[in-house]
Amino acid sequence: MRILFFAQLKDVTGCDAAEFAPPSPLNCELLWTMLLEKFPGLHPHRGTVRLARNWEYADADALFTNADEVALIPPVSGG
Amino acid sequence: MEIEVQLTGSPIAENISAPRRAEHGAWLEFRGAVRDEENGEKISGLEYEAYPEMARREIRRILESLAVEHPCLAARVIHRVGIIPVGEAAIYVGIASRHRAEAIALLGEFMNQLKQGVPIWKRRALPVGARLSQPQHVGIIGRAAAGTAALRSLDEALTEIRAHCPPLPPERAPLAEAFDRALRETVCAPEDMPPCDRSTRDGYAILENGGAETFHIVDTLHAADWKPRQLKPGEAVRVATGASLPCGNLRVVMQENVERTGDQIRIVRRETATNINFRGEDLRAGEPLLHTGTKLDAGALALLAATGNVNPLVSPRLRVLHFTTGDEIVPPDQTPKPGQIRDSTSSLVHGLLQHIPCDLTQAHLPENFEHAKRLVSAFSPHPSAFDLLLVSGGASVGEKDFTRPLLQWLGFEIVFSQINIRPGRPLIFGVNDARVAFGLPGNPLSHFVCFHLFVAAALAKLVGQAPATFLRGRLAAKLDGAPNPRETLWPARFNVGQASCRSQTKSSAQAEQRIGDRRDAWPTLTPLKWASSGDVTCLTQTNALIRVPANHGPIETGEEVDFLPTNV
Repeated sequence: MRILFFAQLKDVTGCDAAEFAPPSPLNCELLWTMLLEKFPGLHPHRGTVRLARNWEYADADALFTNADEVALIPPVSGG
Repeated sequence: MEIEVQLTGSPIAENISAPRRAEHGAWLEFRGAVRDEENGEKISGLEYEAYPEMARREIRRILESLAVEHPCLAARVIHRVGIIPVGEAAIYVGIASRHRAEAIALLGEFMNQLKQGVPIWKRRALPVGARLSQPQHVGIIGRAAAGTAALRSLDEALTEIRAHCPPLPPERAPLAEAFDRALRETVCAPEDMPPCDRSTRDGYAILENGGAETFHIVDTLHAADWKPRQLKPGEAVRVATGASLPCGNLRVVMQENVERTGDQIRIVRRETATNINFRGEDLRAGEPLLHTGTKLDAGALALLAATGNVNPLVSPRLRVLHFTTGDEIVPPDQTPKPGQIRDSTSSLVHGLLQHIPCDLTQAHLPENFEHAKRLVSAFSPHPSAFDLLLVSGGASVGEKDFTRPLLQWLGFEIVFSQINIRPGRPLIFGVNDARVAFGLPGNPLSHFVCFHLFVAAALAKLVGQAPATFLRGRLAAKLDGAPNPRETLWPARFNVGQASCRSQTKSSAQAEQRIGDRRDAWPTLTPLKWASSGDVTCLTQTNALIRVPANHGPIETGEEVDFLPTNV
């Protein structure tokens, strides 16, 4: 599972991507648990960050598998 | 609605021509420019960052959904990323419609939604006086654009390819057309499996704790029967294998273990097994049957059929366009004149793509660029006519090597054009919206190596499958190669053993542990002789590529190596 960080989250985590290999698919809650364990600095951002799975915003009941590309999307400001 | 989306690291052109169609009554353009002030501070520019694959998809999705209410005919969106000086455009939107009202409405609503959900960020404001040089890392686009000329290592190239290949939008397909496609949804059991307690034997169902020796047969159940009833002590039901049992707390006595006289049976031998496949024993309702990314083989299709999933959500068939180039190439059924060779790459690509559900179109391009462009236009009449473009030959920088200009003419952004590996150094990789293109070296062996390493990685991402990974094996013979400054992919023959996966999942880590205990169980690899990158003869033997690090070698018999199985 490849996790991508963007904008200020790169500063928080110190990297733009991380690889994880959870033994079974994760729901949002478990994914966040795994992320916060590795990157505690993400804690204050959890409320505003949306999760994307394979280039689409993930539903609340999405399952994240090892084949997925997961992105943490902080509030956007394009245009 | 026709939609074109571009993310670019370059300034947006001042004049962008509108698509001219007879039915276009209105062409509305909007440019959003960087102002000289951000949060009350004077600035000289803004740095933008994007998640390009997702940004392109979101823009497209928003336009498609808005077009339902505001039926427009065409839309073109260009968003610039990286550092943008004050006064220059960050975004361009052009909308064509029959009448002005729907274009104006769609544009306003589009910009609102873009600012809420498209993953593009103002990364930082540059104070007045700051140098406006492009940063090292401005997101994937910026990074790629900055380093197009640089040689890529194998790992760098793979990372970039994967980042630029979004899975194609999935579609629903009937089971008969879904073979070998990647499942794009997790399919869960619609009910307990099996849905009720079933007999696994031909025999007699009795109460589990029925202590009696003789039983009266009250009913007979075949596999298709469904006749619930509560059995009493001393009662038995004749059941066939697969029959649904009439109530709970039963066991089935095999017919071989009873003596039957008319409607009576007597148990002559007691069994410990219940001979029942209990409800939900295989799977509980709601548990995942097949995960997203599963390649649908015969067994998976049977499971989908058994659970009523007759139109699974799967990857579409890939549309592949393959061109060979070079005037020295003659068709395989012709005798080459001096200086000419027969085309083998068409057959190679055709064979390599057999494992991917795709529609392949192949043609040979003349070396005259203008003639080539005309031919390409005939095969690709509109930009979305294919998902993957492969061009064999013409990938290096010789005068006649026109793959790069051809791809650029087709609107592709070149991400990189050289790989620091052998064989196969010239490799061009380009992206254009959701489509990708490779310019492959003309030599068959280089072609073979680049296909398995790079094209296969792109294919896996496009169709939503897990990528192939390097495995670990042992050399059965010495790999007799002098150290080379480039990483080498050495053709080899491997004998199937228990390959250990390099990924770090729990189960594979356990497998690795087990295999580590039994080194003789490792796959063994015999390096093959290859003289040059044009070597076709060794391809008939090759079923693996050994990864030899740069400046490494020779490698002795028995040593561990990483390898990629091929032709799978």
